[in-house]
Amino acid sequence: MNEAHLPVERLSIILGEVKDVRVSQRGPRRTRLDVAADALPALLELLKGRAGFVHLSAISCVDWPKDGQFELVYHLWSYELDLLVSAHTRIARDPGVYVSVYDIYHPAGFFERDIHEMYGVFFEGAPDMEKFILTEWDGPPPMRKEFDSEAWVNDHFDWQDYRPDWLLELEAQGGGIVIPPDEQRFSRRGLPEAEDES
Amino acid sequence: MRAENYEARNHPPSNEFEINFGPNHPGIEGNYALKVKVHGDEIVAARADGGYLHRGFEKLMEQRLWIQNIALVPRICVPDPAPMEVAYSMAVEQLCGLDVPVRAQWLRVLQLELSRVAAHLFTFGGHAATTGMYTPMFWGVADRDLLLDLFEELTGGRVYSIYNIPGGVRRDVPDGFLERLSTTLDYIDSRLPDYDNLLFTNQVFVTRAKGTGPITQAQALDWGVTGPNLRATGLAFDVRRDDPYLVYDELDFDIPTEQPGDAWARTLVRRNELLQSIRILRQIIDRLPGVAGPIRAPIPNPLAWRVPAGEAYVRIESSKGELGWYVVSDGSEKPHRVHVRGPSSMHAVQVLEHLVTGCRIEDVAQIMFSLDACPPEVDR
Repeated sequence: MNEAHLPVERLSIILGEVKDVRVSQRGPRRTRLDVAADALPALLELLKGRAGFVHLSAISCVDWPKDGQFELVYHLWSYELDLLVSAHTRIARDPGVYVSVYDIYHPAGFFERDIHEMYGVFFEGAPDMEKFILTEWDGPPPMRKEFDSEAWVNDHFDWQDYRPDWLLELEAQGGGIVIPPDEQRFSRRGLPEAEDES
Repeated sequence: MRAENYEARNHPPSNEFEINFGPNHPGIEGNYALKVKVHGDEIVAARADGGYLHRGFEKLMEQRLWIQNIALVPRICVPDPAPMEVAYSMAVEQLCGLDVPVRAQWLRVLQLELSRVAAHLFTFGGHAATTGMYTPMFWGVADRDLLLDLFEELTGGRVYSIYNIPGGVRRDVPDGFLERLSTTLDYIDSRLPDYDNLLFTNQVFVTRAKGTGPITQAQALDWGVTGPNLRATGLAFDVRRDDPYLVYDELDFDIPTEQPGDAWARTLVRRNELLQSIRILRQIIDRLPGVAGPIRAPIPNPLAWRVPAGEAYVRIESSKGELGWYVVSDGSEKPHRVHVRGPSSMHAVQVLEHLVTGCRIEDVAQIMFSLDACPPEVDR
């Protein structure tokens, strides 16, 4: 019984040193912390140095366009306490700049680079903000909520009719399976009707 | 890189050459590239280049119903798809507060461990092939096929099972499945001495793999390496034991570790883990008939399913390491955000760049395979 309480106690001592941290228990080995953006690096440093949270499992970015904010979630695991702590913080969506925690956690290099190319959040002090997955992408950051993939496809690519001639002939005679344009999987809705070239 | 974006550049005179290692290389599980700078046959700089398998899963999932995503998720990692669907289902269950029936949990563990055996056979076969020995690879792939037959019988799919749904699993074990599973396990168990003779006591393999691409435990912790790669540095950490999920806390298994942290140790850990997975599967064969009950908890109409607002972070031990799924719901019919932490995103990018630098060019493929880098889960 004592051992089960120990991690939380050790954690609470540390959390007492950072101002304005909200702690909520989410399960036997899950703790959620909410912290202001300017206090987060100090919190991570304390967690790593004093409570053995040496493993940064992931950094997740969540877009909340209604609030005009990005939520950054740092998932930390302690091999000593067997406890997962998720530190949540929110930053303004515009300009979307935050500090890198690469000097505390090296895995952050990958996640920050990923968030930068998917959400356009710039991390100051990160060693590498170059594109990794979307190397030749010149559009807006695609994981932002306002990015509409279908509209982008309609704007940038031509639809191609793959039906062979014999099928077109068949369909002209009323045979085959004719799908009306507005029932097609990728509809052309919102697009001007294609002009007849003939 | 697209051809039209290629620009020939003039470099100052140098003895160093840049080589694109990949994206199509047989020594890599999937399309992935390393841009390496070589001096002679020694690599002086390396840069990972991903994105060839980017299919935008995280964006796609935000545009699909909770239930539709089940068909999407196993495709995130091709060699080891089962943990993806289990993790996604577990995350949705956490958000809804759904209790999974015990029998369904046992069936999930059965699927996860089968998948682990299949993935490990594939990987150490692949590692052998990168050292020039193709027989273990053919054997590994052929033996994996026997497991795929079992998957087909259990789930209907050979590679992508799509067996889990939030709340449980789709079907129960067919009649006689456990006997056939037992026969297959006996066979794979009997094959391990052959693998040992051909691979682990083979002087060619020993010479090539020992001392190649070593990681120390401090480095591994520093770089966020997890799974067999971390255990090969001597740290006995396994999510299944230290952060147990499903019914892993009722199962009896060991966590194999090795000390040196090189390519040899990593592959040896996988071989020993395979034995432990067989041990777990045998326990399941013994105990599953005694676990009665439904295989699925009732869920609301899946086509109009509004998952309560909230967030869940699920961790699972996949064959590559710690798999993390962060799922956020805003109370609507589709996920608000899904983030997949593929275990390879650590050891296939920063760690790989670091390990490859300084080694010789013939060891690059070997290091990649010994790390069990899975590019599809890096690119997502």
